[in-house]
Amino acid sequence: MTAKNELQLAYGIAIVLLIIGILSFTAFSAKPPEEPVRIMFKPTAGKVLFTHKTHAELGGYGIDCYTCHHHPEYDESALRPCGDCHSQTQERTEPNTCRECHEEGELETENTPKRSDAFHDQCIGCHKENDAGPIECSECHVL
Amino acid sequence: MPDSKKFIVSHAPFWHDGSHITTRNYHTLLAALPAVIFGMIQYGMPAVGVVSLAVSSAMIWEYLLNRITRQPVTIGDGNAALIGLLFAMLLPATSPWWMVITGTLVAILVGKEIYGGIGGNPFHPTLVAVAILMLSWKDLFDFDAALVDYEFDFAVAYPLAALKHFGAWAVEGFTPGGLLMGNQIGGIGSTFGLGIVAGGIYLALRGIIRWEISVSFLAGVFITALIFNLADGARYAGPLFHLFTGYTLIGAFFFATEDSSSPVNFIPMLIYGAGGGILTVLIRNIGVYLDGVVFALLIMNIANPLLDKLRPKALGKVI
Ligand code: HEC
Ligand code: HEC
Ligand code: HEC
Ligand code: HEC
Ligand code: HEC
Repeated sequence: MTAKNELQLAYGIAIVLLIIGILSFTAFSAKPPEEPVRIMFKPTAGKVLFTHKTHAELGGYGIDCYTCHHHPEYDESALRPCGDCHSQTQERTEPNTCRECHEEGELETENTPKRSDAFHDQCIGCHKENDAGPIECSECHVL
Repeated sequence: MPDSKKFIVSHAPFWHDGSHITTRNYHTLLAALPAVIFGMIQYGMPAVGVVSLAVSSAMIWEYLLNRITRQPVTIGDGNAALIGLLFAMLLPATSPWWMVITGTLVAILVGKEIYGGIGGNPFHPTLVAVAILMLSWKDLFDFDAALVDYEFDFAVAYPLAALKHFGAWAVEGFTPGGLLMGNQIGGIGSTFGLGIVAGGIYLALRGIIRWEISVSFLAGVFITALIFNLADGARYAGPLFHLFTGYTLIGAFFFATEDSSSPVNFIPMLIYGAGGGILTVLIRNIGVYLDGVVFALLIMNIANPLLDKLRPKALGKVI
């Protein structure tokens, strides 16, 4: 092959691959699944990998969706991020999300823990109850 | 234009004619294909996108840099494409596009062109880029986080992360055979061990890479991992686990062996390879990083000019 042919081949490869690359990143990009397969939480204490699908699947731990997605009870509108209702920082306040369904001021927010407590109570609570799954900090949080 | 009356002799390796370099690069690209295709099948379109974008953007960056510096365009030799492909092989399939093109720019510019192009680079250009990216955005190399949406019929946890965080019991489920067949998550082109080894043997037989380096690197990993494992089997995984996970195999056959950043004499090659292997396991077992291959090889790249000074003594005596 002469140097000129080599160069032409290279231009060809570069252009074709560029087009394939752009198309893959735009038109054919994979959509995230409706129900998360796994979730990686990234709080300050270190990342937590939560096997969402394994927890819910029958072949896995077979936990009912609404055991965790608890408010309102047994309703599809509960399938949303916990942080919508359990605020990141302030404890026991009424986030705007409540007003999607409740009148302002109608509520007692006494029992709504903040986000990280909500996770800890639910995750660790169930693990303790069933004597299965991690309880120690370092079994969930990794740096 | 270079002064045609002057004959410039420079440091090894020597560029003897264009076509030779080109064949070497295209053969290396070919040898990498089995592992790359495996990754594309496993991860689907996102992997195809990362590989295509990495190869093409590496070539385009080199073209632009050639133009800006008013040098002849060198992308015909396939080296830029190879640097891009190797870069993609180390990335998670879901890497964002801006990370891919930033990486190839760093590889081509900082890894290669500022040293005057092919043959002048003291480090493997791709490793330079990966190291800089790992330090800048370490979350992007978190394979567990990057691949959360994938489901496979094997344990979907990055083996080296599970080992580091939870100890050797957490990786007991990984069998050497399964790991070698690519039953693990990791970089697009770095998990299918069998394909990488096949490519490596092909390159060694063709004389494109030096088997001495690959074999001594793997031996360094094996022996060091074995010593750790014997000392404390609960904390440190066995030698085969270290051989078949992370970037070990791709490092041995595609990175350690790069021409201009590795030695050419026999004993130096053995020291270079073994040193890389030993450092890899030291970083994995007692360092803070999950995988040590990238930094271990960069360190050996630095040592390379010194190592090549270990030459056989001339026979006879000067009086
Ligand atoms: C063991 C507890 C648990 C079970 C069981 C569970 N989930 Fe979840 N799910 C979670 C947690 C925790 C999140 C993360 C919420 C967040 O990001 O704040 C989540 C997130 C989700 C989300 C994404 C919400 C969003 O918009 O980000 C969907 C959808 C969802 N779950 C659906 C389901 C369905 C359907 C089931 C039953 C098949 C189910 N979940 C079972 C705990 C659970
Ligand atoms: C739509 C709003 C909403 C969402 C979404 C929500 N919660 Fe709650 N959560 C509440 C409210 C309101 C309370 C307090 C009233 C109650 O006990 O039900 C509460 C209470 C709790 C408590 C303490 C309750 C008890 O029984 O002690 C935990 C733990 C908790 N939530 C965890 C979670 C987790 C984990 C998620 C995500 C999977 C989540 N919540 C999602 C509204 C929500
Ligand atoms: C998606 C709609 C929705 C959102 C958002 C929502 N709720 Fe509710 N909530 C309901 C429904 C429906 C009920 C009644 C059925 C039940 O108990 O689950 C209810 C019941 C309650 C009750 C018990 C009332 C009773 O009389 O038993 C409390 C307390 C409450 N919600 C607090 C909150 C708070 C606090 C928030 C915001 C953090 C919130 N809710 C957000 C739909 C919602
Ligand atoms: C309703 C019960 C329940 C809740 C709620 C729950 N888990 Fe679990 N979890 C389990 C069970 C059961 C296992 C199985 C342990 C085993 O088989 O050894 C488990 C196992 C685990 C494991 C180890 C095995 C694996 O699949 O990775 C992790 C990590 C874990 N859970 C994290 C979490 C986190 C984080 C949350 C909260 C977001 C959570 N779990 C909420 C029941 C629960
Ligand atoms: C079952 C798994 C699990 C265990 C065990 C666990 N955590 Fe967590 N932790 C979580 C999850 C899930 C979050 C929420 C992540 C988020 O906010 O996105 C969290 C959040 C946190 C946060 C961050 C709070 C913030 O506001 O950023 C801290 C701090 C923390 N945990 C400390 C601890 C400590 C200390 C322990 C041991 C006593 C512990 N965790 C045990 C799962 C766990």
